[in-house]
Amino acid sequence: MKRLALLLFFFPLLALAEPANVIRATELKQEPATDSATLAALPENASVEALERKGGWTRVKTSSGEGWVRMLALRYKPGTAKAGDSGAKELFNVARTGSSGTQTTTGVRGLSAEQIANAQPNLAEMNKLKEFAADRGTAGGFAAEGNLAAKAVEYPKP
Amino acid sequence: MRLVLFMVALAAASAAHAQFRIPSFDLNKAVESVKNVNKAVREPSEAEEISIGRDVASRLLGAAPLVDDPALQRYINQVGRWLALQTERSDLPWQFGVLDSPNLNAFAMPGGTIFITRGLLERMRSEAELGGVLGHEIAHVLRKHHLKAIQKGAQTALAGDALSAALRERGGAQRDKLIAFGAEMYSRGLDKSDELEADRLGVVIAARAGYDAYGLPAVLQTLQAMNPQDSGLALMFKTHPAPGERLDALGERMQPVLDAYSGQAQLADRFVRQLRR
Repeated sequence: MKRLALLLFFFPLLALAEPANVIRATELKQEPATDSATLAALPENASVEALERKGGWTRVKTSSGEGWVRMLALRYKPGTAKAGDSGAKELFNVARTGSSGTQTTTGVRGLSAEQIANAQPNLAEMNKLKEFAADRGTAGGFAAEGNLAAKAVEYPKP
Repeated sequence: MRLVLFMVALAAASAAHAQFRIPSFDLNKAVESVKNVNKAVREPSEAEEISIGRDVASRLLGAAPLVDDPALQRYINQVGRWLALQTERSDLPWQFGVLDSPNLNAFAMPGGTIFITRGLLERMRSEAELGGVLGHEIAHVLRKHHLKAIQKGAQTALAGDALSAALRERGGAQRDKLIAFGAEMYSRGLDKSDELEADRLGVVIAARAGYDAYGLPAVLQTLQAMNPQDSGLALMFKTHPAPGERLDALGERMQPVLDAYSGQAQLADRFVRQLRR
């Protein structure tokens, strides 16, 4: 319970401080906006610690202080994400799924390439799947509850 | 087309071979072969697309069942259907499911059946992130990426009439072959260009639905930070371009759209509530 409370404290604001690099020379901004003041120029490959994301910006700690950089200019060091740090993993009710953190992927069922190639149809689960489908009206109501409004956005040109 | 030429060549060769008995090239026979091939390469109807997708989905459910949580399954269907409503194929019988697997992956079947694994869902932080991933999968359905790949590959396994029959009718050995081939597509993956296109369209679909357009890039960044040797990532990394490359591609093409819709809804609370119950 204490562990859960701790996790809730960190969640979902930040994935703790994660080591990252900027993949190109980029500006460290005071606020998460292009027209905000530039605090420093970060050279390509500069090491930073990523703290939180806001829209297309990530707050980072650098040797020249804290500020915001373009999220897409950042790449994390592979393998730095710790289990439970970067998502809702610990919040998922494992009792419900019959799974546990120590579950192994061995056994007949599973989603490895081989297991998919050898899988047999499961009609009982297909019937369940159908029951959960949402119609237009339900989906519209659900969107309204979340204050989601549809926008006209063009697909990019091929 | 290559197949048609091959069949014509084959017909011509066998006619030449039989020159002693049949002096003239058997044009009728050649035309018949070409007709059969044309039947097979015709575009499957929407009903056929849906039924192929469902047969493949049933196999995937044989590999991993649904998470036993009706409320979560309804939630994913509401998010997914709302996204699909913003597209040119809003009337497909869309259905979404969370598969009970610790692996990180998502699958789009022809005709509008979409799965996401529990493992991937657990790594997300908001409904906007979920919207980005479902948008990517919806884009595969819109552009018929898997359907085309299945059809193309099946032509080498099932010639002419057999493929035509397998598309049309459920059941039977030919159909089994087609569906087994279809399921295998998900362990081999699509062309890289299909995946990158689905990323671009997925961002647009999420933005249309009112979500922060950076949801999909955020998930890609999460994946990028994970240990690539993690066994839960094996299949996804085998079948998709590396997350860093996908982020580069989105940055090159989609920065204006991403920024224009970056202030939209995250709905982190609603997402977390669903997973915590």
